[in-house]
Amino acid sequence: MRELTGKMSGHSNWPEWIYVGVIIALMCWVGAEAWEAERLVEHVPEDAETIKVTGQQWFWTFEHEDGTKEIGELHVEVGKAYKFEIHSTDVNHSFNIHDYVVLMDAIPGRVNTVWFAPTDAGQHDIQCREYCGLIHYNMRGTLYVEEPST
Amino acid sequence: MKSLVGLFLVLAVLVLIPVLESAFAAGDEPGEYLDRRVIIWNLFFRMMTVAFVVGAVVSGTLIWQCWRFRESHPQAKPTKYEGTDW
Repeated sequence: MRELTGKMSGHSNWPEWIYVGVIIALMCWVGAEAWEAERLVEHVPEDAETIKVTGQQWFWTFEHEDGTKEIGELHVEVGKAYKFEIHSTDVNHSFNIHDYVVLMDAIPGRVNTVWFAPTDAGQHDIQCREYCGLIHYNMRGTLYVEEPST
Repeated sequence: MKSLVGLFLVLAVLVLIPVLESAFAAGDEPGEYLDRRVIIWNLFFRMMTVAFVVGAVVSGTLIWQCWRFRESHPQAKPTKYEGTDW
């Protein structure tokens, strides 16, 4: 048997290096996958209609590209892409359409964007997801997804 | 010296991450139509698959080591640095 030198000799470091390598490879893979998903969901399609979303205590206002305004409800069409430009006039809010995994903060003094393309006709809840005061719980709206008009 | 290298390594990573982030961030080019729910669920599903596999391998290795290297294992041997006669 080989003479032992040092208190922990006779032991191989290879398993540890393999372990470290596997962990680094896994983390690179996880990062790349997450990055790719983020890239996909953040790129807005060219023909997306812009809808200005304003959050204020305690309701949502929407303004379409043609100037149409809606309060507390939003009408969109199946198969079209919509880009929301979200801002707030008072405190922090968060614009959420739960059924379509749309979630973006509404912050006073800045415009945050998020986009989605509804796939089926129906009604969905819009809800504030950032505590914004007394009636936060009731800062809701309704998304109406309709069949295309043309 | 070694700690200096370590420090600069950490600093280099701290500089590199924002550079990489801005290089790969969403640019001006238009995106394609997609369903956010599908993309996000797929990512979650793959991450959870990996997390559970890694969790099983790591905990399995730990359990096997505890079982194999217990004192009462039939093939247990004292190591040199324990300095005991069994």
